[in-house]
Amino acid sequence: MTTKVPYLHYTPQSIPTPELPPEQEKKRKHYLNHDYGVLSWLLTVDHKRIGLMYLVTASVFFLFGGLAVMLVRLNLIVPTGAILELDQYNKAFTAHGTIMIFLFLIPVIPGVLGNFLVPLMVGAKDMAFPKLNLLSYYVWIGGALFFVWQLTVGGLDTGWTLYPPYSSKYSHTNVLYAGLGIFITGFASILTAMNIIATVHKMRCPGMTWSRLPLFIWAMYATSLIQLLSTPVLAVTVVLLATEKLTGIGIFDPALDGDPILFQHMFWFYSHPAVYIMILPGMGVISEVITCFSRKNIFGYKAVAWSSVGIAVVGFLVWGHHMFLAGQGYYLGMLFSILTMLVAVPSAIKVFNWAGTMYKGSISFEAPMLYTIGFLVLFTIGGTTGLYLGVMGSDIHLHDTYFVIAHFHFTMVGGMLMAWMAGLHFWWPKMTGKMYSDFWSRLAAVVTIVGFIMTFMPQFVLGFNGMPRRYPNYAPEFQFLNILSSAGASIQGIGYVMPLFYLTASLFTGRKAGSNPWQATGLEWQTPSPPPMHNFDETPVVYFPPYEYALPNGLGMLADAGITPGSNPALEPAYAPAAGQHEVSHGS
Amino acid sequence: MAANAHAVEAHAGPAGPVAHHFNNMRQQQATVRFGMWLFLVTEVLFFGGAFCAYTCYRIWFPREFEAGSAALNVGIASVNTILLITSSLTCTMAVRSAYKANQAGIKFWLLTTIALAVTFLGLKAREYHLDYEEGLMPTAKLTVDLQKQADGSYLPQERSVFAMNVEKALKHNHFDTTGVNLGRVQLFFLFYYVITGLHVLHMVIGVGLLTWQLILAQMGFFKYPERHVYIEVMSLYWHFVDMVWMFALPLLYLAGPHTLHQAVEQFTSAVGMATGGSH
Repeated sequence: MTTKVPYLHYTPQSIPTPELPPEQEKKRKHYLNHDYGVLSWLLTVDHKRIGLMYLVTASVFFLFGGLAVMLVRLNLIVPTGAILELDQYNKAFTAHGTIMIFLFLIPVIPGVLGNFLVPLMVGAKDMAFPKLNLLSYYVWIGGALFFVWQLTVGGLDTGWTLYPPYSSKYSHTNVLYAGLGIFITGFASILTAMNIIATVHKMRCPGMTWSRLPLFIWAMYATSLIQLLSTPVLAVTVVLLATEKLTGIGIFDPALDGDPILFQHMFWFYSHPAVYIMILPGMGVISEVITCFSRKNIFGYKAVAWSSVGIAVVGFLVWGHHMFLAGQGYYLGMLFSILTMLVAVPSAIKVFNWAGTMYKGSISFEAPMLYTIGFLVLFTIGGTTGLYLGVMGSDIHLHDTYFVIAHFHFTMVGGMLMAWMAGLHFWWPKMTGKMYSDFWSRLAAVVTIVGFIMTFMPQFVLGFNGMPRRYPNYAPEFQFLNILSSAGASIQGIGYVMPLFYLTASLFTGRKAGSNPWQATGLEWQTPSPPPMHNFDETPVVYFPPYEYALPNGLGMLADAGITPGSNPALEPAYAPAAGQHEVSHGS
Repeated sequence: MAANAHAVEAHAGPAGPVAHHFNNMRQQQATVRFGMWLFLVTEVLFFGGAFCAYTCYRIWFPREFEAGSAALNVGIASVNTILLITSSLTCTMAVRSAYKANQAGIKFWLLTTIALAVTFLGLKAREYHLDYEEGLMPTAKLTVDLQKQADGSYLPQERSVFAMNVEKALKHNHFDTTGVNLGRVQLFFLFYYVITGLHVLHMVIGVGLLTWQLILAQMGFFKYPERHVYIEVMSLYWHFVDMVWMFALPLLYLAGPHTLHQAVEQFTSAVGMATGGSH
């Protein structure tokens, strides 16, 4: 069989892998069918299978967190609370916050896409430490199940922030054991981060220089740095809190001259960088998707790459903006306020570069791109409203109101969750080898985004008008906007459940995706879908930067340099076809 | 599975089996080393958080922290310091033996390291026990104590159990407690137990690793000199645990004054314990 390779696509990263004939394709061994049985999954050290295990479990936890918030939104339909007792309400919103943050947002992209894609994208056979990778999954799922169990037997009512002295002295819920669960999942997060950093440093294939790394890798690298440096601080903070809870003597108890503000400092030293742990992988996904569906090279590769590192670094210096009203020093607050303005810069650099990428692009609106456009709009709103909260003067008015809730849901849900959906839809064909329904996936994206805006836009107004967060009751004049918000939440819920059906259906009825359904560049698209057991049949060699979607000048430059297909054998990768036409052998 | 076995075979060179996902031994060694350094970065931040919180309180409550430190057993701490530093040396000797693929040397030095570490842990347990006997455990319990009044009479008054215990211990060590909020000394002891407890936990894990390496050595795992890297990264971890102690010792034990008499008495008794004498 011969495959014609169009000249326009002649870059090593965009050569479509020749498809096998159907009868051979059926027999091809890949990571999903090389071995069957429960144990072959439970004991696997294959990063792709571990990624899929994360996908299933994280989706279940997402469902749990979603159910918890449905209770909250239902309750808020009536000013005096529709269905829940007061303490039940506290437990419901705490369950929502903790599950979504610790069991979904933080692990989902590093766990699923990071595991699946990082070795593929750098051209490695597996993660640097495959067994550690499996261990981190089990540590995570163990901690997560323990945590959920504690939430169901007795619950947790402190909010996800666990502030003492309430959490240590007054709360009669399972603070100690829930804290232990968080501690354990944090350990898993550290192990994953170590693995990703080591993989990026040590496992890159020949020619994969740092400036040729896909932007998703840069984002995952920055994320892992944050996880590595901040998670242990949360761990030791939880240990100190647990000690206080166990002995009844307060390290953070003001009655004993302990300082609860110190807990807040230590907590936010982790938890503010943690919001970048949540959003940075999403930004990496967006960089990949937007350049593919705009059919344009990414605008400002270096700016986008280094802004990830910039966010990671500056993100460590802004934790105090959560504590403007907690009693920290006035001048300290001013310093944190200025640093907070600073961290907006790298995020803005990214948004401008994405807009620059789309500019005059040949944009198509498949589901991943719809989610990405949703991300761009919603994240920008979320980011700019963050500035109101970073300025001390306006924060006094907006602190602990629904304005804050709306702000971080715009970044976390409108940003991160949209990015997760975009990434899931973008790489689903690579993971499973099947295409999902185009119509239903686009519809789900639109439903989700519309539902999202309807849920959280009213909350900006509510918060600005003074409705405080975490209160089960509110003034009657807020009822209309609350009902609107709850209605939006149920539309959003439908949007999140839809993929469950059409993605599952795609496994059975979806058409074959082929190795590169989106005509994307990047090494992961150079290998068949689903990828073989060890990712690549031959170790790939990289000659070009990651995004070679359009080469109007690049082609000219190559031609000027006398490089045309086949003209210089030294530049030909081992698997590159010869000029014009080439023979593809399917033996062995 | 067949494909997997084939891949492993293909990479098994004369230098010993290279794991399936590495190209060569050099890459594997570099990755293993790099991974351990990354883990140690995490550990630095982990203990760093505790030391940071300690430092805040040390600055706020200097007198109470001196008092708490004065009540600790410097004798056992000194002996333990010597044991731990020596164990770092023997651990390094094990790495040297692994470089040379000297099987007997690896086993001997690993065993010595384990022995030193276990002695450390035994003394530490003894020290905790002594602290417990002296009642230096933070507690919210109250008791009734006779307090001397201005007219010379005694009146029963409610007092913190811990404050009474620490007062007694400090009197024994000739520490002047005027101006010290004795209840607040509990903050020091919370840090003492958390930091030394975490250190002990790390040592127990370290002893587990050492034992595991010993079993591997017995099974002939280290007959390939290239595999010295596994002992090497384990020794990195061990040195780190040692380093934590180098910070914990001055912060906890040397923050307050100790009389020469107290130090000598505790030191000789600790040496007696370490060398198997009864106490």
